[in-house]
Amino acid sequence: MVTTGVVQVAGRGADVAFVIDENAPFDLVASELREYLASQSGLWSKGHITLNVGQRMLAREELAQIKSIIETKSGLTVTRFWFAPESMDSGEIQVEAKLPKSSKAPVQAAAEPPAHNEIVIPEPDPEPDPEATKEPTPNPEPQTAAESISAVESIIESLKSRHNKNGARNRNITEALFIKSTFRSGESLHHHGDVVVLADVNPGAEIRADGDIVVVGSLKGWVHAGASGDNRAVIVALELPASRFQIGKYEGVAPTSSRRRSNSSASGPKIAYVRSRSIHVAPFAGRFARYNKGVPYDG
Amino acid sequence: MTGKTIVITSGKGGVGKTTATANIGTGLAMRGHRVVVVDTDIGLRNLDVIMGLENRIVYDLVNVIEGTCKLNQAMIGDKHDYELFLIPAAQTRDKNSIEPEQLRDMCAELEKEFDYVLIDCPAGIEQGFKNATAAAQEAIIVTTPEVSAIRDADRVIGLLESSGLHRPRLIINRIASDMVKRGDMMDQKDVESLLAVEVIGLVPADEHTVVAANRGVPVVHNSKSAAGGAFLRIAARVDGEDIPLMDIEPKTGLFSKFKGMVGMSGRAYSHA
Repeated sequence: MVTTGVVQVAGRGADVAFVIDENAPFDLVASELREYLASQSGLWSKGHITLNVGQRMLAREELAQIKSIIETKSGLTVTRFWFAPESMDSGEIQVEAKLPKSSKAPVQAAAEPPAHNEIVIPEPDPEPDPEATKEPTPNPEPQTAAESISAVESIIESLKSRHNKNGARNRNITEALFIKSTFRSGESLHHHGDVVVLADVNPGAEIRADGDIVVVGSLKGWVHAGASGDNRAVIVALELPASRFQIGKYEGVAPTSSRRRSNSSASGPKIAYVRSRSIHVAPFAGRFARYNKGVPYDG
Repeated sequence: MTGKTIVITSGKGGVGKTTATANIGTGLAMRGHRVVVVDTDIGLRNLDVIMGLENRIVYDLVNVIEGTCKLNQAMIGDKHDYELFLIPAAQTRDKNSIEPEQLRDMCAELEKEFDYVLIDCPAGIEQGFKNATAAAQEAIIVTTPEVSAIRDADRVIGLLESSGLHRPRLIINRIASDMVKRGDMMDQKDVESLLAVEVIGLVPADEHTVVAANRGVPVVHNSKSAAGGAFLRIAARVDGEDIPLMDIEPKTGLFSKFKGMVGMSGRAYSHA
């Protein structure tokens, strides 16, 4: 963990997150960010990043200013800003360094209009750069400060542990795909990232996502989260009447015993996750981590 | 004059596409429009029977497409005194006898002369469906409050939307109000929330519909019947009139209340 008071840098698995104090005034954030990036200029390689600004609704000029600070002080290119639900409870500004897009275009992603909570900064498509296909993994050599080294180590460590545990956590494209109309019977989709459906997923529809699946509606179709083998993926739905779905390599079938079924079929938002090699479903309490008391599904 | 081509489809068979086509077509004609109904269920034609015109067929859709006859030679005038015509399907051919483009060209020709061109789509999502939907600017989906019909309707709505026919409208047919009351049948809200499309009409299960079909006189001519009234209102909504949907009330002791509310006295069909 590297700290400059206002700007913190943390490794979050495959992602690098800049966590910025929510309550700091913007000028301070800007100067701290500039200073931090300047002092760590050797740390960044070329790549594209997505800025997650959390709940902090910044004005367009401020967003542009942050973008220019990051782009001049590091080699990174800011492709878009987004306001993600996962930062809601923490309420910080996050600047997440994302991996560049892989050459495989996400299915249907091009046909989808940008989601309403994204501001896409128009950017000429950069040349395919061999460097850019690598993760902007910090290069530890030029670091002197003990703090930064430990941060780098923790990032690498977490990357290693993920690869060891799950095989490659193949989330090369971390952009979410938004679907804004009912996903109907016979429609099928495979996206190399997270999928958000702002409508119902009807019976007979199929969604495969390499990342998480969030359904702001009733999930009645068949879905597979973590389709590339990521058992940490989750499925969240406002209603989860679907009786079977898959996370990573595990398949979940709604329990048939009446007591467990009555627990699992209580209405309300649900989260499905893998725990102890089986899928559990628990009431969704507004966070992606530390869920428990789930009902185990057969499978 | 430029008319509008509307396809009436469902996915599942036997939910009332042909009945709906005949009744909406007749209803629009009764409102003073020039209407042509086209049966594209080649090989399994029914629309002529429902309209009572099977004895007048000389030429059919495939004859028109293949150029054996002129367009107006295949158009059969309705028995009643309305500007309503039928182009029947061929019975001895199959769906592959025509191409979507050919039907589209034919409908474009018809739109010059008619206010409404209604296409009765065959069941399924194969060639016949592709033919029927290619020509249309609007779509009406017919379903019954049964899971199988709704599943198919959902699939068809997805296919229509992906082929550019956005915002199809829905008719929920054969609603047995007493079963809905008992909770044995899905109600309008259940169907609407699952399919997420605009409902343009609720048609009660009504034995008049069956009787009318057997006689070859669409039930819409019997404006006193529950289903006939429902189809008349659907025709008015297709025509752009804003009529609120009516709840389908079961036939109970409150007959007078029912009659007063919906202005009809038809016997609701009850499941024994």
